[in-house]
Amino acid sequence: MRRVIVAVSIAAFTALLAYATTVAGALGYLGLETRALARMFLALAYNPNLRELTAMSPAAVAAIVWDFRGVDTLYETVVFYMAIISALAIYRGVHKVGGGGSVGLSLIVRVVTKLLIPMNIAIAVSIAVHGHLTPGGGFQAGATLAVVSVLLAVVYSVNSFSRVGVEVSKAVALQSTGLIAIAAVVFTPLIYGVLTGAQAYLMQNYVKVDSGFHFPAEVLGQLISGTLIWLNIAEFLAVSFGFFTVFMLLSLREEVVKQPLLGEGHGS
Amino acid sequence: MALSTIERFLLTLTLYNLLVTAAVSIYGIVARPSLTKKIISLTILGDSLNVLAIFIGFRVFSIPPELVSEVELERFVGLAVDPLPQALVLTAIVIGLAVTLFLVFLALQVYRLYGTLDTRRIRELRG
Repeated sequence: MRRVIVAVSIAAFTALLAYATTVAGALGYLGLETRALARMFLALAYNPNLRELTAMSPAAVAAIVWDFRGVDTLYETVVFYMAIISALAIYRGVHKVGGGGSVGLSLIVRVVTKLLIPMNIAIAVSIAVHGHLTPGGGFQAGATLAVVSVLLAVVYSVNSFSRVGVEVSKAVALQSTGLIAIAAVVFTPLIYGVLTGAQAYLMQNYVKVDSGFHFPAEVLGQLISGTLIWLNIAEFLAVSFGFFTVFMLLSLREEVVKQPLLGEGHGS
Repeated sequence: MALSTIERFLLTLTLYNLLVTAAVSIYGIVARPSLTKKIISLTILGDSLNVLAIFIGFRVFSIPPELVSEVELERFVGLAVDPLPQALVLTAIVIGLAVTLFLVFLALQVYRLYGTLDTRRIRELRG
């Protein structure tokens, strides 16, 4: 009986999705026309002639992520933060990272990794600070940098974290710094509005019809797209060190984790 | 410009592959007893639905939604793919990874406490 219900619901799901995407035309892949909504986003992403509507970012995706649908992304950042904090809560009581004397994989692997890690960091920072110009941004850059933590744990063993000075508490502090920076950028227009009595909106990026407040779109002739570069860098910090935290905890040795779980009496 | 028969066939094949993958991964989540397999199925479901969202925004004969100086705005608006699904998916991927990690932590603790990841056996255990 249970198997029949499972089979029928899966078949119904597939049929429904297939109907929605083909017959009902939710999928536009055979059409050559762009949707009206997409055309609006594309036309307004970087348009200095429409100063009240544009996000001043040539990358339309970054403009949607942090300007047109910025509150949505803010909410997703909170979900991300909650997932990391929940993982930390499960591992409460576990403080010790490292200890013991293992040195990791063979010399060849360690040398190659030593060469790769600076490149990885450089690429991640480049993706973050060019997020408003090219494909990329804080989320992608954070995921790129998170690879470094996995490389460290696998190639150099868990002990390397304390050797290079990365600890769980420091990673959590850096993640929180990123989140505070996001909050600071979001609340700046509000504080400006309260202090000067002018009209300004929460998470405002560029001038609006009834508000003259705006972040500088260009600094020294370089396009920085107002809030976009700051939010990308802050999100880069939050995401990368959030992943650093969990990967560090995930690579802990079994006896270190089991000790607080089984209580005082079982510890050595 | 129009799609050739082989292009049309390949696009449709990709679409149905995605739908079948999503259906199989739902079977994995609902019917498999192992928590590890449930988590793997969940990631496969998330990824196939992400690709489906990108597929909905995709159009043939298009350019990426990044404005470069050589392209005029008119042409850019007419040719670029829909940037909205891409914006939604890029956050969904990172959030999905964080949530998967949280589930992995949960499953690890379940294994440490009960010594099994089989949901049928976990249900019988008490305390």
